[in-house]
Amino acid sequence: MRSRPLWRVTVHAVLFGGALVMVMPLIWIVLTAFKERNEIFSLVPQWLPAHPTFNNFLGVLDAMPFWRYYWNTLVVAFGILAVQLVTITLAAYAFARMEFWGRDVLFILLLVQLMIAPQSTVVQNYITVTRLGLLDTKLAIMAPYLASAFGTFLLRQTFKGIPKELEEAAALDGCGGFRFLLHVAIPLALPGYLAFGLVSLTYHWNEFFWPLVVTETTKSRTLTLGLGIFAQTTEGSADWTMLMAATLMVIAVPLGLFLVFQKRFINSFMQSGLGG
Amino acid sequence: MPTRSAERASGSSPRRDGRRRRPVLVVLRPYLYILPTFFFLFIFTHWPILRTFYVSLFKWNLATPKREYVGLANYAQAWSASVFWEVLGNNILFAAGTVPLTLGIALALALLINQKIRGLAMYRAMLFYPTMIPMAAAAMIWLWILTPNYGLLNYYGKWFGLPDIHWLGDNKLAIWALVLVGVWKRVGYYMVIYLAGLQVIPEHLYEAAIIEGAGPWQRFWRVTFPLVSPTTFFVAVMAVIDSFQAIDQVYLMTSGGPGNSSNLFIFYIYQHAFRFFDMGYASAVSAILFLILLGLTILAFRMLHRRVHYA
Repeated sequence: MRSRPLWRVTVHAVLFGGALVMVMPLIWIVLTAFKERNEIFSLVPQWLPAHPTFNNFLGVLDAMPFWRYYWNTLVVAFGILAVQLVTITLAAYAFARMEFWGRDVLFILLLVQLMIAPQSTVVQNYITVTRLGLLDTKLAIMAPYLASAFGTFLLRQTFKGIPKELEEAAALDGCGGFRFLLHVAIPLALPGYLAFGLVSLTYHWNEFFWPLVVTETTKSRTLTLGLGIFAQTTEGSADWTMLMAATLMVIAVPLGLFLVFQKRFINSFMQSGLGG
Repeated sequence: MPTRSAERASGSSPRRDGRRRRPVLVVLRPYLYILPTFFFLFIFTHWPILRTFYVSLFKWNLATPKREYVGLANYAQAWSASVFWEVLGNNILFAAGTVPLTLGIALALALLINQKIRGLAMYRAMLFYPTMIPMAAAAMIWLWILTPNYGLLNYYGKWFGLPDIHWLGDNKLAIWALVLVGVWKRVGYYMVIYLAGLQVIPEHLYEAAIIEGAGPWQRFWRVTFPLVSPTTFFVAVMAVIDSFQAIDQVYLMTSGGPGNSSNLFIFYIYQHAFRFFDMGYASAVSAILFLILLGLTILAFRMLHRRVHYA
């Protein structure tokens, strides 16, 4: 039934059409980024650049501190992940494999972070960050994310799956408590760590609003913010070729990594959806 | 730091006072493990929730640091502000536009892609990639496509007899431009979530349906749809919550305009907190948003339980 050729052709036609609509914007900005500025003011869109040029990319590097933003973004995204890996490991292990008074209540208090929208607490978090003297620092961007209910939840599932007997046997061999966590539990949970890591890095690489609120200078601004500011300074001049070059420079590396490790990324996001 | 205390807790603590201290440390051990998480969680999640409600009772302008207790006056101000209702209406419209479109297309794509077909990885990548890029970048791309005169959309719109439309400058259309971007950005993500749901449907159900003589249409409505509907409901609520958090595209594409015709909740809060420095009012609106989202979340969990019960 499924291998009927007509059905197959229809499926491919619909999928190809849908995929093309989704990809068109990307193709369009890539081509725009290589055009000369006057080429775009044509009432009939010209898809291919008449004289392909790299000038827009060079112009972006002149017009904004691109590498500074890049560095800041890397520090923020990887910094958050590094701290998260410690906090979620410890918390997940405690919630998965230890008995303690108040555990269920504390677990619900943890899940509150999944249930509330981070945007609805931005005003108060801004005040907190200001009072801590962290305004306009990379640490301010990172601070609200250093604990992760999602990551803890994800790892807890994995840690729960480790058989009790394994822990007892390891304890007899002198590999109990914290050493069991380090040498047995963590290695067993590596796929979970990978999924969490990819989602966390993508999320914080892409984030815009919270960094917008807590940064004031190029010292701590990230790429997405740099792009937004660049857009607002060039808006009047309708410098679309430069803006598309800047956009392309911001998305190039994550997009390239996605194309190479497509399956890993998609599986990670699948798990993130199931976790909340 | 937590590592070291944990190490001691696990038994390598000095033996001198071992008898009295070890049991205490063993009892404390789980709490030491969760301490780092709860330290940050308290400062940046629990505390701000409580503070939002507290500060919402004050007239507090950041420019003049004196706070004045005003009771529910900030809520009364929201109640009587026509802009507040406009923003709420916009956000409901935005959710009503984004969520069904996104989920409908996502489910259709997931069904098509969940078969043994050639080029599957390519299709999936082409549909999923917008999830990977920042909303800020998506906003730039669509600003360019939607731009009047030279924009791609207007050009191809002419093929279908549409006039030259200034999407973002029209107070009826601006919000639909945001819907368009929202759908484009999220549809691949929800497709993948649906794929996860479809893949756990046992193959033998379909085989049985085929033996019973069910066509593709019946197989969808009798097997697939009932089994993905709990997913759909849960995902729909998540998507609605998501749509109440939309801000990046509002900030970058329309600034809530023209007028307030595309102003959404978070941008409204942003304006009051960081442009008018009215922290009290911004907190009151945050509190209202918080309650709306909490209500939706509770609804989601309730319905999920009920559905699971029936199944």
